[in-house]
Amino acid sequence: MNAFGLAPLLLVFPMIGVIFNGWFGYRFVRADAKVGEKWAGFFSTGMALLSFVIAVLIWVSLLNDHHSHIIPLFDWFNIQGGLFRIQWAFQLDTLSSTMLLVITGVGSLIHIYAIGYMHGDKEFARFFSYLNLFLFFMIILVTGSSYLMLFVGWEGVGLCSFLLIGFWFDKPDGVGWANSMAARKAFVANRVGDFAMILAMCLTFWVFGTMDYEPVFESAIEMFKAGEEVVLPWGTYSLGAVLKWITFLFLVGAAGKSAQIPLFIWLPDAMAGPTPVSALIHAATMVTSGIYLITRSNVLFEIVRASGDSGHLFGNISTPDLVAIVGALTALYAGLVAFTQNDVKKVLAYSTVSQLGFMIAAVGMGSYIAGMFHLITHAFFKALLFMGSGSIIHGMEHGHHHLHDHHDDHHGDDHGEHPGEDHHDDFDPQDMRTMGGLRHKMPTTFWTYMVGSLALAGIFPLAGFWSKDEILATVADNPDQGAVFTFVGWTLTIAAFCTAFYMTRQVKMVFFGEGRHEAVEHVPESNGYMTFPLVVLAIAVIFAGAINFPKIEFGGGEQAYAGVLAAVAPAEEEEAGLIPTLALEHWLEHSIESYYLTNKADPPVLEMPHWPTTLNFRVAIQSSIIAIAAIVLGWLFYSGWSKEEPFAKDRLEAIPVVGSVWLFFQSLPFDRLMINGWVETIFKPMAALSERLDWDFWHDYVHNNLIRDSFISVADVLSNAVDPDGVDGVVNGTGKLIGAFSTQLRRIQTGNVGNYALSLFIGVTVLVVYFIFAS
Amino acid sequence: MDLTTVTIEWYIALSAILFTIGALGVLLRRDAIIIFMSVELMLNSANLLLVAFAHHLGDATGQVLVFFVMTVAAAEVAVGLALIVAIFQSKKSIDISEVNLLKG
Amino acid sequence: MESSFSALLTILMAIPLVGVLILLFMSDETEEGAQGIKIAANLVAAVALVFSIIIMISFDGTDPGLQFEDKFSWIPALGITYHMGIDGLSILFLGLTTFIMSLAIGASWNMITEQIKKYYIFLLLLETGMLGVFFAQDLFLFYIFWEFTLVPMYFLIGIWGGKDRVYASLKFFLYTMAGSLLMLLAILYMGIQAETFNLPELIAQNDLWVGNNWLFWGFAIAFAIKVPVFPFHSWLPDAHTQAPTAGSIILAGVLLKMGTYGFTRFNLPLFPEASVEAAPIIAVLAIIGIIYGAIVSFAQTDIKKLVAYSSISHLGFVMLGIFSLNEIGIQGAILQGVNHGLSTGALFFIVGFIYEQRHTRELSAFGGLWKSIPVFAVLSLVVSLSSMGLPGLNGFVGEFSILLGSMGSDALAVGGSRPWIYTAFATTGVILAAVYLMKMYQGVFMGPLDKEENANLREMNGGEMAIMLSFLIFIVWIGVNSQPWFAAMDATVADLVNTQIAPAIESITAIAGN
Repeated sequence: MNAFGLAPLLLVFPMIGVIFNGWFGYRFVRADAKVGEKWAGFFSTGMALLSFVIAVLIWVSLLNDHHSHIIPLFDWFNIQGGLFRIQWAFQLDTLSSTMLLVITGVGSLIHIYAIGYMHGDKEFARFFSYLNLFLFFMIILVTGSSYLMLFVGWEGVGLCSFLLIGFWFDKPDGVGWANSMAARKAFVANRVGDFAMILAMCLTFWVFGTMDYEPVFESAIEMFKAGEEVVLPWGTYSLGAVLKWITFLFLVGAAGKSAQIPLFIWLPDAMAGPTPVSALIHAATMVTSGIYLITRSNVLFEIVRASGDSGHLFGNISTPDLVAIVGALTALYAGLVAFTQNDVKKVLAYSTVSQLGFMIAAVGMGSYIAGMFHLITHAFFKALLFMGSGSIIHGMEHGHHHLHDHHDDHHGDDHGEHPGEDHHDDFDPQDMRTMGGLRHKMPTTFWTYMVGSLALAGIFPLAGFWSKDEILATVADNPDQGAVFTFVGWTLTIAAFCTAFYMTRQVKMVFFGEGRHEAVEHVPESNGYMTFPLVVLAIAVIFAGAINFPKIEFGGGEQAYAGVLAAVAPAEEEEAGLIPTLALEHWLEHSIESYYLTNKADPPVLEMPHWPTTLNFRVAIQSSIIAIAAIVLGWLFYSGWSKEEPFAKDRLEAIPVVGSVWLFFQSLPFDRLMINGWVETIFKPMAALSERLDWDFWHDYVHNNLIRDSFISVADVLSNAVDPDGVDGVVNGTGKLIGAFSTQLRRIQTGNVGNYALSLFIGVTVLVVYFIFAS
Repeated sequence: MDLTTVTIEWYIALSAILFTIGALGVLLRRDAIIIFMSVELMLNSANLLLVAFAHHLGDATGQVLVFFVMTVAAAEVAVGLALIVAIFQSKKSIDISEVNLLKG
Repeated sequence: MESSFSALLTILMAIPLVGVLILLFMSDETEEGAQGIKIAANLVAAVALVFSIIIMISFDGTDPGLQFEDKFSWIPALGITYHMGIDGLSILFLGLTTFIMSLAIGASWNMITEQIKKYYIFLLLLETGMLGVFFAQDLFLFYIFWEFTLVPMYFLIGIWGGKDRVYASLKFFLYTMAGSLLMLLAILYMGIQAETFNLPELIAQNDLWVGNNWLFWGFAIAFAIKVPVFPFHSWLPDAHTQAPTAGSIILAGVLLKMGTYGFTRFNLPLFPEASVEAAPIIAVLAIIGIIYGAIVSFAQTDIKKLVAYSSISHLGFVMLGIFSLNEIGIQGAILQGVNHGLSTGALFFIVGFIYEQRHTRELSAFGGLWKSIPVFAVLSLVVSLSSMGLPGLNGFVGEFSILLGSMGSDALAVGGSRPWIYTAFATTGVILAAVYLMKMYQGVFMGPLDKEENANLREMNGGEMAIMLSFLIFIVWIGVNSQPWFAAMDATVADLVNTQIAPAIESITAIAGN
């Protein structure tokens, strides 16, 4: 008995939600906001929960049967002549099941949260139909059995991201327009990544003859084992040389979706969307699809790593190395920018970019489990933080609203405006500089936020500690992997310091000290819809480390090899302990083929880096010290922010040299380079090209002037000079001659019937006479 | 010359006289009805000749032909009278010398 | 010459003509009369649609040859035959033509108010002409229909068009007419040399003119102007922006496809060697068209012109697919032709719907329409997404097959060049499509609803809703399940590639190798 056959329902439920909310919910809300909101909100939450139930059933089924299951539906493409066939099919294995649980689980919580958060919005139903549509595409993304199906979800979630970022496109005073610009920017930046995805998929097809995951990986392994070369229409290449380009293109695709250098610029802007969206799409699920893609393609990446010289993109950097470097640099850069942000959501946005960098770096180093582990824990605590920030914004809005119109009866649950609506003064409910001291006003939000930010900072024993530690331990456990790992390790360590520092800064500015705006005095705690998910997630964050506890072997990093060997041993042995260790690793290794090829094949086919399996005390202590130091430092720096001067210089800005660095990062150097730099340099000539070259030159000048006018002038000469005197002279002369002749001839036409009859009679008589006498 | 026996020559002569009267009537008269009657006269002179020769030669073909001519003449009368009525309606006269629209 | 007469195709072509006859006896002077003419025209188009669906259902996709043939000698002294037939190359266009025509005629219901009788007569004449182009299997016959389609379109633009309609219609007519002259020469040359104008017979003796490349280019230029391939696109923005909505829908939906169809029907089988040799040149022009069309489209402020230029970009994809010269590319290209007809046709309908109410097409005059006409906005979003190639909708299916085909193209790899470079450049069109279509969509439907005129727009009525939904059904159907659409042309395209193109590539590679 298994639940794999239920997989199509995963898509059916969210689709029902989309249709329901798109068609009926809209009318319900318009007819009666209070009842309609209940219907729309609970219906789509119910659909998300039903998907979650299916995901759990599938997970339970997989517990008994770890193998991947393909559930085909029907053909999508089938070009027989080109042997190109793609089916709509689900691939259910431990990896997709893990992603499913995260998406539907966290997704359902965020649905509940959104019922509270979006309360009062006129477009309530539209919002929920988008959320369900997002779930629909995200589920396709993680359950598809081929790259092309992944791409359906990949673009689909990009679309939902576009719709949700631009959700408040109609706000006045340029805000709505800016929101829709942010949406468009996100879509286009994602498209740049998709460009690489399309090329990667085409190349995959011509190398392996298919785009389905399993056949691709199998034939890649076969070709690698046999040392076969790849025959492409334009030449013959070694497998490593081809795969390095495929994987490079996957990296670009992942950079677009997971907001890595150089394509991350859209994610901070994406915060224009409602906060539940930021939590769901731009923190927990969609942005992690890049990590999913690389983990899914682990075989290809590991073959490139094992191919030696032919797998090197430049110098001795292979694609997996490049992945790790990109991830590490993004982690550091975004961590530094997060220092300089005063918008409560922007800090979290850059933090997300930074944490995604951690994950990308982890998968780049071959530590797919660490990457996935961090993905899961990050989904919990970043969703928690975003929802917490939403709660804060909501509270500030209320406080300000209360302050603004002095009518006590006009607040509470029946306020008729959605959060974030402008009051036409300069108050920004998201500016941390006007907050402070909120811990007394919103205790639930405060405590859950604390849990989330400590987890993000990597404080023992919260989830973030375990997952971040595993990434850093990967570096320490692989001392033989050379300079790239060392570089990545140090970069990530500094980034981890940044993480703890900017989170401390944020918490200090928001919750501690005294309120720096009158609105703070009137901030209420958010309602139950919003706090319930916060509490659930906070508990999850506390215990989520348990899903992949490392084994504790005293002796430290040197024992890593023993750990790897132990992981190879049968599973029952390990689960005998009180707390199951490495649960996630044992779970996911069934989907990560390169693990088997490295550790269980004889002789080993691949040589992937070792996965940390035991707790590395040196790393753990080192990162704990760094995190605590950063927290202490941050606490000291941001103590005593003056109530009178909320907009004073930032504490870091005030320090001489650091201040200029701070200002440099605050100016968002990369965004400026991208947007003002090349986008401008491309768009200006584009406009000129179309106006000057296409219209003025090609359309007007060449066609209208050169061709038409020269034709007209030739025609002019012909009609005015050549024709009247030359050709026409002859023609007219003939005409006149005939005219003169016929003028005479017409005289015989009298019109008198008698005359005609007479001539007829004479004619007949003449003929008769002629015939009589001629014979 | 035996004047008591009506030979074929008699018929030829009568026919020639009738035809001449008809032809002159067509050419000289201006009244459309008279012209019309003259045309009938010419047709009937031809009929007379046909019947006479048929009897003289003992061949019925000529008599058959007469029936055709009579039928055609009847049709002609119908069309011709319609034309005359049409002319009369537009000109208030059936004098054909006034109908000269074809004058070049 | 063996005659056969299944009559189906001839009857289908005659249906609109019968409609023309009926309309001739009706009067548009009274309100009821005008109503009757509209109903009659819609009914005729619907009958033709039903008839074409019957033909499509009974079509056998596994048979590579011509089906439903009507064939007899017409002018035996010159070897001219009356030969109609359809195969995998034309079957989809048959459906597209009758489908788009019914929608275009339906869409005219409210949009055309003057000289209704003549208008519908021209539309129906155009339908006959277009069907003839797709059915004709004789070069002489084909040329007649090819030129015949110009006449009704000329009047449609010239009488019911916008401000500069006379200029646009004349330009359209002259440009296309001039382009066809070289094709006429080539047709005459081939017909006289082979002593027949019958297409299958000419294909059978296509080695008569190996090396005679001007014949290939004669056809190619005529078709390239129609498509239009860069740099012959200059007539298109004028014609599209001046034409009435139905005219634009037909122009984008079917008339442009006659060009791409011509390439597959005539150029590839008649001149396989020349096609392989010309493939890189045409592929480069196609890619320039993709990028150039997208860039120019982006800079437009007139939304109808923006959509018009986007056609150049989309048809660049189609041309690239055809000249990949493999099954995936060609089938993708044919299907993309249909897809473009659907999504760009729908885009023109959207523009027409807005224009009808606001009498302007300037992007800056709009904004926030989502708030005033939400249903229309959502459906328009789906259409825009289909046009920019979102997977799961029809545009992606064609575009991806074309890109895939181009990367594995043997013809583009002749002489050691690298087809993936073509693919990489063409794929930038995917990014650019998002750039210009999102600009349009955002400008029209998003942002605050700050203009009084935009707040009072009306939603679609039942008929307009039906037209939009008909477009959308196929946009989604082809996008989700493209398999039956590809299956219809599998056999014919495979036969074309295997019997004509593959040997040509081999012989040219052999020459290039030596």
